[in-house]
Amino acid sequence: MATQMHAATVAQSQAEVNYLNHARGLKSWLLTLDHKRIGLLYLISIALFFVVGGILALLVRLELFEPGQTIMSAETYNHVFTLHGAIMIFLFLIPAAPAVLGNFALPIMIGARDVAFPRLNLASWYIFWLGAITMLVGIVTSGLDTGWTFYTPYSTMTGSGVTWVVLGVFILGFSSILTGLNFIVTIHKMRAPGMTWSRLPLFVWGLYATSIVQILATPVLGITLLLLALERILKVGIFDPALGGDPVLFQHFFWFYSHPAVYIMILPGFGIISELIGTFSRKGIFGYKFVALSSVAIAFLGFLVWGHHMFVSGQSATASTVFSLLTFLIGVPTGVKVLNWVASLYRGSIWLRSPLLYALMFLFVFPIGGFTGIALGTLGLDVPLHDTYFVVAHFHYVMVGGMFLSFLGGLHYWWPKMFGRLYNEKLAQLAALLIFVGFNVTFFPQFILGTQGMPRRYFDYVPEFTTLHQISTVGSWILGVGLLLVAGYLLHSLFKGQKAPANPWGAGTLEWTHTGRIPSPHNFDRIPVVTRGPYDYHLAEEIFGNGRGEGNGVVVQPSGQAQQSHSTT
Amino acid sequence: MAHATHHHIIPRPLLLKVFVTLVVLTIITALTGQADLGALNFLHVPLAVGIAVIKATLVVLFFMGLKYDRPINALSFIIGLLMVGVFLAFTLLDMLYRGDIGNLDRQPIRGPQLEQMAPPSAH
Amino acid sequence: MAGASEAVTSVHGAEAHHPPYLQHHFVSAEQQFDAAKLGMWIFLATEILLFSGMFVAYAVYRVWHPEVFQAASKLLDWRLGGLNTLVLLASSYTVALAVHYAQLGNQKRLLQNLWLTIALAGVFMVVKYFEYTEKFHHHIFPGGNYAYEGLQIPYVGQFFSIYFVMTGIHGLHVLVGMGVLTWVALKARRGAFSSAYYTPVEISALYWHLVDIIWIFLFPLLYLIH
Repeated sequence: MATQMHAATVAQSQAEVNYLNHARGLKSWLLTLDHKRIGLLYLISIALFFVVGGILALLVRLELFEPGQTIMSAETYNHVFTLHGAIMIFLFLIPAAPAVLGNFALPIMIGARDVAFPRLNLASWYIFWLGAITMLVGIVTSGLDTGWTFYTPYSTMTGSGVTWVVLGVFILGFSSILTGLNFIVTIHKMRAPGMTWSRLPLFVWGLYATSIVQILATPVLGITLLLLALERILKVGIFDPALGGDPVLFQHFFWFYSHPAVYIMILPGFGIISELIGTFSRKGIFGYKFVALSSVAIAFLGFLVWGHHMFVSGQSATASTVFSLLTFLIGVPTGVKVLNWVASLYRGSIWLRSPLLYALMFLFVFPIGGFTGIALGTLGLDVPLHDTYFVVAHFHYVMVGGMFLSFLGGLHYWWPKMFGRLYNEKLAQLAALLIFVGFNVTFFPQFILGTQGMPRRYFDYVPEFTTLHQISTVGSWILGVGLLLVAGYLLHSLFKGQKAPANPWGAGTLEWTHTGRIPSPHNFDRIPVVTRGPYDYHLAEEIFGNGRGEGNGVVVQPSGQAQQSHSTT
Repeated sequence: MAHATHHHIIPRPLLLKVFVTLVVLTIITALTGQADLGALNFLHVPLAVGIAVIKATLVVLFFMGLKYDRPINALSFIIGLLMVGVFLAFTLLDMLYRGDIGNLDRQPIRGPQLEQMAPPSAH
Repeated sequence: MAGASEAVTSVHGAEAHHPPYLQHHFVSAEQQFDAAKLGMWIFLATEILLFSGMFVAYAVYRVWHPEVFQAASKLLDWRLGGLNTLVLLASSYTVALAVHYAQLGNQKRLLQNLWLTIALAGVFMVVKYFEYTEKFHHHIFPGGNYAYEGLQIPYVGQFFSIYFVMTGIHGLHVLVGMGVLTWVALKARRGAFSSAYYTPVEISALYWHLVDIIWIFLFPLLYLIH
């Protein structure tokens, strides 16, 4: 009796109060402590900066359509590609997966009501904006033309807005650190009963590994940029050779953060891919333990390889050799992950929906990025390829093809849970195709350009490179159209989309099985007790109980009687 | 997992003992730092850093209570220290072996102003 | 993740203990305290990495120009540095005592030791102020602005850049610590803490000890270069 009434009240309350509608008005959003709302605040923020960075990318490609000046001067070009890089990396790629998808899903996935420090979470968002505005002050007043890497001595000499921008990035760093700190404490201390480490969804493992990198690497970026600002303001002379400093030391400082930073970008993506493949092959991930622990291994190994950005900087051969060997090493857990994902698909019950399309695209595109990374990590190969378009193609394959595709996949996957709406699947598949084609047409020719000697960050080039550049630019237009389409149907779904059920994908993780179609403000009425793994579909009665998983943890018996499902393990 | 290690109350006499030890170690550091050890002068840095490590360890274990605390807190701290070690070690791997490629000057890059100053005096 | 027939906690359940300091997303006061502590230890790890950049710069320049560091270090007064070391060690002792008394519920001694800690930190900053002004008086500035006639050798500016940046950032942390401890002391005066709840005292003390530890290393590395 009690359970029937409970199920009824639960169903009733889910229909009414959710985290989106329970409080209205701007203040309820700007002062929210709800991790789900904070995730949406971040979504709007990073989407905005993605559009800016994307337009800058299109401008870069437009300028490179023809040799010589096409639409802008050489000096302007320096600003445009620098801003494209700095905005995309610091204002989009670093925060996107953790602060949007991580904030939204992590607490629910582990059975918690919120992150460990909700006020700190909100503060992180405000710090993000403080940093962004500080950067923008510098950008708008004097531009930025040093490349996103701020190498000295140019960055200490140039009149562009370096000081403001690096101080802005310094502030942004705190946003990243505090998010990582929050997630680690949350995962350690706030898992629901029965949610052991080996039952954590792989997205959580990915976020855990990401957070480790965020807290260990970002402070060094902080001190580096602070020193750079002090170099410009007080002439401290640590990095500027004119004052007795060492510019290669700057590169050590910078890359100590910026290499692990790429793992901040990709590790959540790896976690998302695991979720997508697990759910849409209804089989779980092959080698769960390996995939989980390899994320942490990659996080730590990522700190040992930064010198591979400096092979031709004058770094000692001793150091270069060590860095090269370690770079090869880090390819191993990454490669095995890819094999594990393929093995997960094998003999699975594949349901080809758009989130899985993104995962499949990832499986094709990311290894290309990864392998070319190994190529660049080879000392002999790096000498002719360093600072060419080969490098540009490599990092776009891993960052856009790897990280961004997995972010899009995750966004599509969790969209029904975030907003209770389904987007148009046909348009999503069309957009995915456009993105896949557009991406490869844009960036594959750049590998060839690089091997033929086209330098990066160059405004002009020899006429022999024109065809490949033009193909690349056309690709960028196709990619742009695909992304516009994504924005279009996602926004449309918010107003006119079909209402989503609580678990449209039939997934087995807590955010799908134990919340209503849109989560309530505190996620759960009662903290769940976990008795199975995240991909143990054969034990997931609440999904399959008569096939009517309502998202409230309730199993519906054939007779229509509702009951809480039994613990089975 | 349930025993309340984190609310362990460190007795005042122990805190005092640790404080006195720290003061004594500081005095030792200061005095040996000024002393001329003759042939053993190369020991200055290891000695000073070594004593600093002992002092820091005492503060961490007893003033900060890490000896009686959950292992995860100690792990966080130690991993932070390890990363500093990595940063230092790998950077020095470059700095100490500069010029080993053969076609590069071992000296760090000097700007034009420095050419006019006197070279470092031999002390 | 099937739910068992008994739920563990409910949002609106009548719990025997629901102290005012327990935040709603936590299941228990233990969980909240543990989380706060782990959060602070992780934050301390980030602080160590922030300072590590300076220690690496120090190591690099000292290895490259040992004689410059030796000569320049003589311009620092090791007695003032030593005094400041003792002052900070004492402040670590007093803040550890503050935590001790908080755990015992002794409001008076908790407050006394907090004020003592802040006072000692103030002494540190005053000594630092005299050190800095004395340097500026002799035109000893960071890097390219260095203009002390008494020691003109290449790379001496780097030593003082490292000196000023390291002690400057450390000093900033002392000031922040003083602010935080003052806030905690004011809360203690209003009776916010007890032996059941003293988390802010605990975690601000942890922060303060780190500030002390950084100085434990700065003192010999900067002042005692022989």
